[in-house]
Amino acid sequence: MSTSVQNTGSGTAAPGKPVGELVFALIIVSIGVLGFVAGAGIQTPPSASDIGPRAFPFAVSALLLVVGAGLVFQVLRGHRGAADEGEDVDLDAKTDWLTVGKLAGFVLLHAFLIVPLGWPLAAALLFFGAAWSLGARPWWRNLITAVVLALVLQFVFAGLLGVSLPPGFLERFGVFGG
Amino acid sequence: MDNFFLLMEGFATAMQPIYLLFALGGVLVGTAVGVLPGIGPAMTVALLMPITYSLEPTAAIIVFAGIYYGGMYGGSTTSILLNTPGESSSIVTALEGNKMAKAGRGAAALATAAVGSFVAGTIATVLLSFVAPYVAAFAVQIGPVEYVALMVVAFLTVGALLGSSVLRGLASLGLGLFIALVGFDALTAQQRYTFGSPFLADGIDVVLVAVALFAVGEALYVASRLRHGPIKIIPVTGGWTSWLRKEDLRRSWKPWLRGTLIGFPVGTIPAGGADVATFLSYASERKLAKGEHKQQFGKGAIEGVAGPEAANNAAAAGVLVPLLTLGIPTTATAAMMLVAFQRYQIPVGPQLFESNSTLVWALIASLYVGNLMLLVLNLPLVGIWVKILQIPRPYLYAGILVFAVLGAFSVNFTPIDVIILLIVGILGFFMRRYGYPIAPMVVGLILGPIFESQLRRSLAISQGDPVALVQSPVAATIYVVLVVIFALSLLLKRRQRQFEAMVAANGDAADVVRGTAAVPGADAAVVTPADPHNREDTDR
Repeated sequence: MSTSVQNTGSGTAAPGKPVGELVFALIIVSIGVLGFVAGAGIQTPPSASDIGPRAFPFAVSALLLVVGAGLVFQVLRGHRGAADEGEDVDLDAKTDWLTVGKLAGFVLLHAFLIVPLGWPLAAALLFFGAAWSLGARPWWRNLITAVVLALVLQFVFAGLLGVSLPPGFLERFGVFGG
Repeated sequence: MDNFFLLMEGFATAMQPIYLLFALGGVLVGTAVGVLPGIGPAMTVALLMPITYSLEPTAAIIVFAGIYYGGMYGGSTTSILLNTPGESSSIVTALEGNKMAKAGRGAAALATAAVGSFVAGTIATVLLSFVAPYVAAFAVQIGPVEYVALMVVAFLTVGALLGSSVLRGLASLGLGLFIALVGFDALTAQQRYTFGSPFLADGIDVVLVAVALFAVGEALYVASRLRHGPIKIIPVTGGWTSWLRKEDLRRSWKPWLRGTLIGFPVGTIPAGGADVATFLSYASERKLAKGEHKQQFGKGAIEGVAGPEAANNAAAAGVLVPLLTLGIPTTATAAMMLVAFQRYQIPVGPQLFESNSTLVWALIASLYVGNLMLLVLNLPLVGIWVKILQIPRPYLYAGILVFAVLGAFSVNFTPIDVIILLIVGILGFFMRRYGYPIAPMVVGLILGPIFESQLRRSLAISQGDPVALVQSPVAATIYVVLVVIFALSLLLKRRQRQFEAMVAANGDAADVVRGTAAVPGADAAVVTPADPHNREDTDR
């Protein structure tokens, strides 16, 4: 949550032109439009009481539409949102899109690897990749940390707590559950 | 007197060795995760949800109570010891606590925060035990119309007040309500916004969205602007004897009590959560201080740590009143607690105190127990917390991602959920980037379906006449109170902002308040060379 003061300088707003912010506000508007279009297709059974399954979706869509339009207007008039603060966030740093992309890529890869490789291997790869993307070196320490973390999590969650994570190649060792 | 016996029964449950162990585990894990920078109490509860999947309800709820209070404690340790500007909810503690730590009084700051949290937590839990049953007794009498009124209050205050921009808060609320609509309509079994996909037909799981928004969104956002360079932690010096001297105690006890009295009521009303309570306490301590103590404000006044920390914890207990008695969460953390209850099919709301009285009293009793554990554990373990603060940031955020995918996958054990996690996480990333608060979205997501069914029920009773929604005297009163709370809160919010601007303009506190770490090394310059203990610990 951010309670920053808009007028204390450039440090608060996202750097660069507000194109992204404008697009985001327009996306909110378009979700509102989508809500009305797709909402018209919701079937109303004749037995429904006075207010059917459509009314609330329409109300929410209207809220998104109105608020989104207001935000588009605000951004165009130069009122920018205050970017979130945090202990590890350097608001003056340039946006590192490459790292964000790499992280998203590794999460996506992980989603596709859970079933073929099993959870521990897929998770170790995710940790290894994410730590490398965020700048951790040397690679072998990242690898050891990743493998140890994945095995410990698999052991605690699947072995001890009974959460059924697919163990993959660890299947022959009973303690890793599955 | 009945309630007293019920509370004693609750203690009998909570004091069983196995439950004590669960409470201990909860507070330890909660504090450890809460200490981690970038992880607030709401994310702590969301990330740790999978741990409790296999526990029985009472044990799980006791663990969550521990995590809830532990997370609060952990947060204050971070803001006192970590030499970087944090989130604004903990900014008040950072303001004075950070200065105290830099002046070699970190131990005293930690001690007054811990003892203050204990005093406030205990008094507020006592208040909770006596107030909640009465609110619950009132709440069982209200019907759907009044319920709709209460939820409108919750939506508007949460949407408009959690965050710096009203429109962005409402947009965030709307997005949450929209995601909640996806899936089958509970009353007519019609598919809504599923676009023919079987994966969307069951709806999008609340835990999935919460973990995505809090954990994945945060990790991506921090990654986009990671603060590089060494982690600056202010070392805690001095032995046990210097932790809380007589003088400190004399200056602290009144702010503790005042903070409690401010925090609890503010927590119970939906006025923006603990944030407002800490600010109010800080402002009043600053006003009440006299002479040289007043001079110390902005440079490390112990009253400025003691009061807000007490207020923060008292508000955390206060938030549980509307949560347990009405089923209405007023903060993101409370919303996550509600999700935890829902997982176990425990109907939070007016009936809770009747239908699950053993469980709810065990929960309240374990809050007392957890609070005591935190007091005993926290100060001696400060060395461990400092170690946790030093975790290399790449490993920290990589670990958060691994925990997030673990939580997402274990909801339904399908990889599709991990992909949905990523998509919602990217949404969370952009929301942070453009200043949209996350909390209203989570609250909308959770309350949306309940709100809709109550609304439709009220309109079915009145045969579609919307006037009935405001005709009941209780509902009308709630709407009037809404207007009053709303006006007051907006006023408070404005004063808070002006106040922060004033402190920021003061210069000496600027690096903490406004993230003016624009000048690298400005933080380190504050250290007095005269005291050898004050050296920045930058050689890691």
